Formats: sequence, structure tokens, C-alpha cells
Amino acid sequence: MKIVAKKKLWKYLFWLGPFLIAVGLTVGLVSEQWGLIPLVFLIAGVVISGLGIIWQSYETNWWKRRSTQAGTNALVATLAVLAILGLINFLGTRYHLRADLTESQLFTLAPQSRELVSVLPQPVKVWVFDINQNPQDRELLENYQRQSSKFKYEYIDPQARPGLAEKFGVKDYGEVYLESGDKRQLVQTVNQNERLSEIRLTSRLQQLTNSTTAKVYLLQGHGERQLSAGKGAISQAVQGLGDKNFTTSPLNLGETSKVPEDASVVIVAGPKRGLFEGEVKALQEYLNRGGNLLLMIDPNTNPKLNSLLQEWGVRLDNRLAVDVSGESVVGLGPAAPLVTEYGQHPITKDFGNGNSFYPIARPLEITSVPGVQATPLLRTKPYPNSWAESDLQSEKLEFNADKDLKGPLTLGVALTRKQAAKSASTPQAAPTPSPLPSPTIQRKAPPASPASPALSTPTPSSTPSSQTATESRLVVLGNSDFATDGLFQQQLNGDVFLNSVTWLSQQDQQPLSIRPKEPKNRRITLTTTQGNLLILSSLLLLPLIGFAIAVIIWWKRR
Amino acid sequence: MGVVLSNIIAIYRRELQSYFVSPLAYAIAGIFWFIAGLFFVMILLGPDGILLGVAAIDAQGQQLGVPTPPIDVPYEFVRAFLDRMGWLLLFILPILSMGLYAEERKRGTLELLATSPITNWAVAVGKLLGVLTFFITMVVPMLVFEAIAISGSNPPMALSIPLLGHFGLILLAAAILSVGMFISSLTDSTILSAVLTFAVILLLLLIDLIAKIVPGPVGEALGYLSLLKHYNTLTQGIFDTSALILFASYIFLGIFLTAQSIDALRFQRQ
Repeated sequence: MKIVAKKKLWKYLFWLGPFLIAVGLTVGLVSEQWGLIPLVFLIAGVVISGLGIIWQSYETNWWKRRSTQAGTNALVATLAVLAILGLINFLGTRYHLRADLTESQLFTLAPQSRELVSVLPQPVKVWVFDINQNPQDRELLENYQRQSSKFKYEYIDPQARPGLAEKFGVKDYGEVYLESGDKRQLVQTVNQNERLSEIRLTSRLQQLTNSTTAKVYLLQGHGERQLSAGKGAISQAVQGLGDKNFTTSPLNLGETSKVPEDASVVIVAGPKRGLFEGEVKALQEYLNRGGNLLLMIDPNTNPKLNSLLQEWGVRLDNRLAVDVSGESVVGLGPAAPLVTEYGQHPITKDFGNGNSFYPIARPLEITSVPGVQATPLLRTKPYPNSWAESDLQSEKLEFNADKDLKGPLTLGVALTRKQAAKSASTPQAAPTPSPLPSPTIQRKAPPASPASPALSTPTPSSTPSSQTATESRLVVLGNSDFATDGLFQQQLNGDVFLNSVTWLSQQDQQPLSIRPKEPKNRRITLTTTQGNLLILSSLLLLPLIGFAIAVIIWWKRR
Repeated sequence: MGVVLSNIIAIYRRELQSYFVSPLAYAIAGIFWFIAGLFFVMILLGPDGILLGVAAIDAQGQQLGVPTPPIDVPYEFVRAFLDRMGWLLLFILPILSMGLYAEERKRGTLELLATSPITNWAVAVGKLLGVLTFFITMVVPMLVFEAIAISGSNPPMALSIPLLGHFGLILLAAAILSVGMFISSLTDSTILSAVLTFAVILLLLLIDLIAKIVPGPVGEALGYLSLLKHYNTLTQGIFDTSALILFASYIFLGIFLTAQSIDALRFQRQ
């Protein structure tokens, strides 16, 4: 009797098995950590359950039954079939054929995206900080993922994982970040009205994975700002360029006499002495072959760049820009104009009316030159808050109508010049003997105006440097102080510099002409009769037929 | 092989006959037609329907003088309609599949089938084909209505997408019916079979939602099991072999499990 009771007790003990498994699973799922404690519970539960089953089967001679054998066979067969089906489906996802039958290929990535993703050099991951997973966005991300195993994406609830959200600097739901190695970039913010865009994702992806870093040369040798830390140096600006994936190196045109072929941007930051004529020529020649130049010229200096600037319609004013409003507001001297008004240009498009300031700056005068498109970037406040002061010796700052220039003054300008038919890499200074005898189309090429590159001789472009450049760009700023260490990090000063270099590097030129996908515009036109016919027949006639037949058959069967 | 085929055909014919003389089947068809017709009219012609909606957008665009974004009305219509049909299947198909084996069990004819020289496989395939054929005949009138609507599209629409979508619908139905058939073979209560099938299919349709919560490859695998996801792929106009493989797997698994369960029954009775 006692033994039976004990046995029964034992039987109930085995219920501990499933219980322990449940505990283990709960602990693990709740804590989201499969550490020692849930594992101990799980293992103990599985062992007890297993023992229980074995014991039970011995107890009842379960193994020897015919039905058990058949059942085992069935079980094994079923498991095998499940495994095979699982494998087939696994292979089916790996090697599958996918065809987009929509007419405008709504669900297919653009060829540029596909190509970019399939040759990803390193893993990238898209983080979507959102709780709702829009099926459309998912579909797009999955499309990317199908191209390469290096592309991953994950949806994150920023509130559930605040640490991660902080790492990315997430401010709002719906922000989409791209991460590659230690680089992170905001792609866009998705919301109800704005879905994830392939164009933006692909172009960001391209920027992020672009391993070919643009090379920036900083001219040296005429008292320009130092690159390494020191008084009045621009080491922070140089570092900022490095962070933006530019490689920087000094350039001494006195030694090389030619701008290197790999130069994406050449910066001339605050020269104190004039450049040699040959150096100016080298810069001109660089611009003519699609180069990009950033000039930061301080007042009271003559860099002897006038011949170059003339081609672009820029004249450096010798007066000093003063801004008497800044004195009271920000505590800057009157000689440090505060700029809050920016031109409509890629460089300044995100600035709004943020502040940037330029201690001791010279205004620029812009005249229009055919073929050159100029956009003023930085404008000082209108008179009487700012003007260009000519008399720097006098103690008192006041506007003299005869000598001074009324604000607003232009302190920075961005210029572009289209590259027409490629001119020969050698400048016009070298006389090119034209093989064409017709004198009518032979253009006289004055050395000062290489802006007319429409040479009669269609020389095939032999300059490897200007592979893609279809235009040359120039940014002239009447100040270099704003980018020096200490001032660089203040307000928008650094952005003015970095955005200028980024725009100059013409990286926006390569991108991808992905057209947004649009469904075909199509309508259904139904006549009223057709509509009524459809309503009547689908809502009334057809169901009635079904019910009528049912009733008739039922009636007959009775 | 020929014998098996003729066996399948014999079962198939018997099943079809039983459907076409059953008042219940016609009543189900009537309900199906009414609900599907309701969806059809609401989506296309109703006050919130796509025709009036797009007409309003067009009128607004003309008033403001801005071009309206392109809208592919027939495409959107077919997608929306197929989406509702997918949900409708969830309610209709368990009723169709519930009697497949449960009825035979109740009447006691399952023993005859199980011990007959016809393999369980052939029986299952024949039954599935029968019920699927009945379902397709239910869908055909809706196809006619859709064809009338699509024929009014301007410019005309290529038929590849609606065809693929309806092919997906039939595949989805076959997968659901196959699973339902297996469940029906487990019990002799048709009601229980219908309820169980409904629950399982609902789970299979919605497993995608669960999968989104579960991270990692487990979640991915779970999401892959979702019938609705693959059905949507097809109705969107994407031909994807992995979706076809998944549906085929469901169909095959249903038939296999049915055969297994009848097999087990044979041994139990012995």
C-alpha cells in the first residue's frame, strides 16, 4: 500500500519537469538573457520530463505495443518530411527566382542600388528607430537585403533600448540610420506621409561606403594658415575634413608647379604674401580642367590672384567689413561681422538664419561673367548696421558716403563654370598650332581668358584628373579667421568651411540618377449601367442563385 | 501509376458529386458570393470606393491646378479585392474542409476508405482536388465581375498581375484546405474540425505579427511561415518561387499528414 502511494507520488513529481521548463522559458524571455539561471531551470526540467517519459513507458509496456511501433514510424516519417520541407524552403529562400510583374517595376530596386549593394565592401546595417514596421519599408529593405548578405536591417524601439538610441543620437521616432564600421549617418525620418526612399538610402549608402576619399590640398608657402596646431592655425578645420572622409595634404606650388592630378579641392587659406605668377597660372589651369578652388582671402593682403578672380567676375574689396550690431548682441567687435543671412545654395541650405561670424573680413564685389554662375553665400546686415569701412586709422567708426560702401555686403560667394568641350590640358599660353586651315573658326586665345574653352580643334580629353567633372567650382571667402582653431567650432563657422569643401569636391556630381518609382497612371471608367449591373448581379443575383439551389435541393431531398 | 491516377479521379468525382448535390455547399457558396460581392461593390463602387475616391482626388487636382500623383486604379482595386478575399477564405474554407474526413468518420465510411485498396494518399489527393475544384467554381463568377471592371480600365491593364494574384488566391486556398483536411481527419466532429482549422489558419496568417516581436533568425523563420505574407507578395504582382515553394509545402504537408493520420487509424483499429 505504501509502495503504491509512493509510486503515485513519484508520478506527480514528474510534473515538475514541464513546470521547470516553463519557469526557465519565462525567466529567459522576461530577462532577455539566457544566462545560468534560466538554463539551469530548463535543463532540470528537460531531464525530469525525459526521465518521466522513460519511466512511464517502461511502466506501461508502451514500447511493445503495435500501435506504438506504427506511431513511432509515423512520427519518424513526419519528422523526416518536416525536415525535408524545411530544407527545401530554406533552399527556396536562398536560391529563388523573383520577377516583378508590375509595369513600372514598383518592387524592384533600381540597377544603381542593386549594383551598389551587391559590391558592398563591408557590412552595413540600417537601423530604423520606430515601433511600427511599415510593410512597404520592410519590403524595400528586404529588397536590399536580397542583393547582399552584407546588408542588414533592424527595427528598434528607441524606448526599449535607450542606450542604442543614445549612441545614434535618436531624437524622434522614425529616424533611419545607416551604420558601417564605426560610421553612422542619418538617412531620413520616416513617418506617415514620408516613406523610406530608395533614392536617399542608396545615395547615403554610396557616401558611406565610398572608399575613394577625396583629396584636399592646402596651398602653403605664402604665409597661409598653419595646418598643425599653433597660433592662428586651422588644425581643427583640417581635422574636420578628415572626419568627413577627406584626406588633406599641404601643397607647395613653388616645388611642383602644377596642381596634382588627384586634387579634388585646393584650398588657399589666408595667404599673407602674393603668389607667384606661375602659381596663379597653375591654379588657373587647374580650374580650367574642372578643378575646385577655395579661396579665403583676408583684408590688407594682396595674394595677387586678381587675374584669376577677374575671369570669374570677383573683385576683392580693399575695405573692411564692419558690423556695429554685433557689438551689443554677441560681444564681438565691430570688425567681426555677424552673418545671419545666407544665399540659396547647397552649402548654406540648412543654415536657416543661424549665426556665423568673420573677424576682420573683406567684402567681395561680384560682376556677372558669361558662363559663370555666382551665388552669394554670406551677406552682412544692411546699412546702417554694416558697411565697408575704408578709413581704418580713425578712432571713430562712422560711415562716409564718399568712401565707404553701404551694406549688405557679400563676404562669400560660390561660383560654378560649366566645362564645355574639353580643352587641351595645356593652357592656352602655349601656342597650339591648329591643324585646321580655316581661319574663321580659329579663335584667338588670350592667356587671360581661358573661359572660352571652345577650341576649334576637338582635342580628345586627355586629362585623367577631370574624369567626371563637368564644371569647375570656386568659393571665395573674404576671411580666413573664421576657420581658425577656436573659432572653427563656434556657431556655424565650421559648417561654412566644411560645407564649402564638400560642395567643391563635387561629390554630389557622381550620384545616382535614380528615378522615383511611380505607378502607372490608370483609371477605370464604368458607365452607370455597367456599375448598376455589377452591383445588382454581384450583390443580389449571384447569392440568390446559390441560396435558391440550396433550398431546391433541400426541398427535393425532403 | 495509372491505377493510382484512376483512383484519384474516382475519389475526386465522388467528392465533386457530393458537393454539387449538397444544399449546404450551395448555401456556403451563396454566403461566399454575397460577402465577396459586398467587398467587390464596396471597394469599387461604394461611397468610400476607389472610383469615387480617385475621382475626388482628380477633381481636387483640377481645381487647384496641380497634377495629381499617378494612381493605378485597376491595380489598386485588384490588390484590395484580393486582400479581402484572402481574409474571407479564412472563414469560408474551414467550413468547406471540415466535413472532408470528419463526416466520413461520423458515418462510419472512413473504415471502408482506410481499408480499401486505394492508398490513403490517393484518397487525400482526390478529396483535396474535389474541394479545391468546388472552391474554384465559387471564385469564377467573381472573376467575371472583376473582368468587367478591369475591361473598363484606361489605358488597358496587362492581365499578368490579376492572373498571378488569383493564382495566389487558389494556392492559398489549396494550402488552407490541405491543412483543414488534415485537421478534419483527426476528429469526428465537423464543428470541432472547423473551429480548429480556423484557429490554425488564423495563426498561420498572423504568424508574421508574432515574428516581428521575436528577434533574430527564429523570428525570420517564423515570419517566413506566414501564409499572408507570401500571398501578399503574389497579389502585389511579384512572382517569387519561394512563395510557390511555401504554398506547395503546406499543400504537401497537409496531404502527407492526412495520409499518416488515416494510416495510424488503420493500426489503431487493428
